[in-house]
Amino acid sequence: MTTITETQQVSIAKAPGPWSVFVRVASTIWSNGKARIGLIVLGLFVVIAIFAPLIAPYGASENGFDRSSDPTWEHWLGTTAAGEDVLSQLLWGAQVSIFVGLVAGVLSTLIAVLIGLSWGYARGFGGEVVNFVVNLFLVIPGLPLMIVIAAYLSGGGIAMIITVVVITGWAWGARVLRSQTQSLRSRDFVTAAVFSGERPFRIVFREILPNMTSLIVGNFFGAATAAILAEAGLEYLGLGDSSVVSWGTMLFWAQNSNALLTGQWSLLFAPGLCIALLATSLTLINFGVDGISNPRLREGKTR
Amino acid sequence: MTDTTVLEVVDLDVDYGTGGGATHAVRNVSFQLAQGEFVGLVGESGSGKSTLGFAIAGLSKPPAVIAKGRILFDGKDIASMSAEELREQRHGGVAMVLQSGMNALNPVRTIRNHFRDIFEAHGHVEKSEWDARAAEMVGKVELPPQVLARYPGELSGGMRQRISIALALSLEPQLMVFDEPTTALDVLVQHAVMDTIIELQRRENFTALLISHDLGIVLESAQRVMVMHEGQIVEDAPAHDVLRKPKDEYTKMLLSHYADPRGKVVELPGFEDRAERSKKGASRAATAAHPPTVSPRERRRDQKSIVVENLVKVYPPPRRGESEVRAVDDVSFTLEPGASLALVGASGSGKSTIAKLITAVEKSTSGSVHFGNLDVAKLRRGQFRSLHRDVQMVFQDPYAALNPLHTVEYTLTRPVVNFTKLRGQDARRRVLELLDTVGLSPVEEFAAKLPHQLSGGQRQRVVIARALASDPQVIIADEPVSMLDVSLRAGVLALLEDLREQWGVSMLYITHDLLSARLVTDNIMVLNHGKVVERGETAEVLQHPKDEYTVRLLDAIPNPRKVA
Repeated sequence: MTTITETQQVSIAKAPGPWSVFVRVASTIWSNGKARIGLIVLGLFVVIAIFAPLIAPYGASENGFDRSSDPTWEHWLGTTAAGEDVLSQLLWGAQVSIFVGLVAGVLSTLIAVLIGLSWGYARGFGGEVVNFVVNLFLVIPGLPLMIVIAAYLSGGGIAMIITVVVITGWAWGARVLRSQTQSLRSRDFVTAAVFSGERPFRIVFREILPNMTSLIVGNFFGAATAAILAEAGLEYLGLGDSSVVSWGTMLFWAQNSNALLTGQWSLLFAPGLCIALLATSLTLINFGVDGISNPRLREGKTR
Repeated sequence: MTDTTVLEVVDLDVDYGTGGGATHAVRNVSFQLAQGEFVGLVGESGSGKSTLGFAIAGLSKPPAVIAKGRILFDGKDIASMSAEELREQRHGGVAMVLQSGMNALNPVRTIRNHFRDIFEAHGHVEKSEWDARAAEMVGKVELPPQVLARYPGELSGGMRQRISIALALSLEPQLMVFDEPTTALDVLVQHAVMDTIIELQRRENFTALLISHDLGIVLESAQRVMVMHEGQIVEDAPAHDVLRKPKDEYTKMLLSHYADPRGKVVELPGFEDRAERSKKGASRAATAAHPPTVSPRERRRDQKSIVVENLVKVYPPPRRGESEVRAVDDVSFTLEPGASLALVGASGSGKSTIAKLITAVEKSTSGSVHFGNLDVAKLRRGQFRSLHRDVQMVFQDPYAALNPLHTVEYTLTRPVVNFTKLRGQDARRRVLELLDTVGLSPVEEFAAKLPHQLSGGQRQRVVIARALASDPQVIIADEPVSMLDVSLRAGVLALLEDLREQWGVSMLYITHDLLSARLVTDNIMVLNHGKVVERGETAEVLQHPKDEYTVRLLDAIPNPRKVA
């Protein structure tokens, strides 16, 4: 039986494991021109966030400098009204935005996948209840809801922001994933899995889920973008912890000190541009996501 | 080139892709079509027949590239025409009817609007005559003028295909290319639409090129037949010559897979006549030229039968104001252990619904299904395994029945793990055994493949292997060969027959194809609108059908020898 053992190793190596799926997803995204630009920009921000302690000339909250100074050789982007270095704050601030985007994106995608898939696969009363809840989250205007929740949970810092973004952000993804699940549910290979004695949980997560990779990855990038924008928005409104240094709080303090009126446009412009660039990079990556599972889905249909 | 030549194809090559990785779909094809000729183009899937048809109609889509040769229509080369020139020649030029003509209509526009679009684009009909001309056109395909006010969704598949023929015809084409015009239709409708096409061609005297995988249909309608195999035309001769004295081996092979299910003796390659066989008491395995793929083994002792009593399934009305649909209406039968029963009928006769009710995929409205002591209707979702351990299903469409992302090994390991105590190495050994049983060897190689690396016939064998993984007593085969090429059908049917004979698995064989029913079943039930209209021994019923519906089903089967 040695031959069988040998070939087993070979075929196991060939079977699509989680790692090979990741490699496939990554290479598909990379092969798209727009997505490649997005990946490069995103990569740049990630590097900045990780190495901020090394790159930044000063500490984020170091405030012993001249107040509200214009750009100089010591302070490339000037200083704030509290006497902090703007460039250093900008570099440190990348950490918060990327962290919030990543965590909130993963969490809300996770919730969307769990609810969307089980909701799409189940029939009957349970589905109606979920339907009601999801519709509720969809019809409530997002920004006011965020503000209300943030005000209620005030003082929670970044964790609070993430919670608010996730609560308001999962519903749309859940609905999209649900409709795709419903269309895949009636496919023959799903019925065949029932005949193979598979439990519903396994059918949903091993048969249906891998066929929606592109939707889920796309949903993640969309959710991360929304989270980054929402985080900046909430902090700009002063609903976050204003002692944390992030792009949102930079905008908040700049507005507070009337930076535009005093001609310190870089205080508003720099963090604003960074937010826009980061959001754009994620959106660009999303262009490449479409290609991930489309050819495979098509394969299932070819005659 | 003579005066009557409408189309001349010279040394045509069509490739998919360019450079080293290109696939040559059509190779070195040359032929001529004369004015008013009805020519059939036959080939199995992947033979390049549709690629050729699309190239002639100037509809080649990337990555298809005309690599070499010319397509001369009226002396002009279609291959080198610009998009606008092509568009203009659609009127009075080449028109095409597609396989899924039903999907070629825009669902949010009425049929009348579809005609208007064409008249407006080409301006060959006065505006005041648009409606009259449209009515005349639908009249030609035997539809009443009232359909003009309808939306495509309100019409049946056959009606929609007629509409798309009428639309193509409204351009007054000299050449009509029909690409599998009836394949997606129900058997009975298929026949009627084919009759309309033949009648139309005779009356209007346009040149017709009928592309089909079914040699039977082509021989019944065309005057001349071209057989295509691996991108080349291997035979080009008048229809009766192809039938009587085929020259090419491939044509002979295709012809050998046709037989009249009404005949006294029905044989196909690998199948001796059933009655002859049972007289001798021999199994298919003993008489067949090819050795059986399944080795004999002891029959299970505790075999149970499926008993269906007064089964009714009613679906809610499809639209408001319409009546509810009685898909299955008071059907009773028993499937004994080791028996084979055919369930035949046109689409909508309720045969697939019965399969769903027996396997608990759907719940019946009333009546009962028992498997041994098990009441199928009372099963909860969590108890399905107890039924599916013994009752398994083979699906119609092997392209949809396998998850495109899982290897063959994964697909087969799941039922083995779920239904048997085998794990790890033992489970894997069982999977390889199963692959061997269905004739997919070398087994290790096939185990590692993904579905898109397999052909249709191989996929269907994997589907059958999966059904066998739990060692079932009953296999329900829902049109297991209808999506396969003719030459592959016999192999899959032989496999099912061997399993029944050697393993004692009973089989419910659901089909509209009476020939295959004759080959692999002992008993037959004919369903019409959910009701059983005729039942009995398969050979007896098909030779001496009593019900008019059975006769219609038999008449609808394309059979080249009927022409002779």
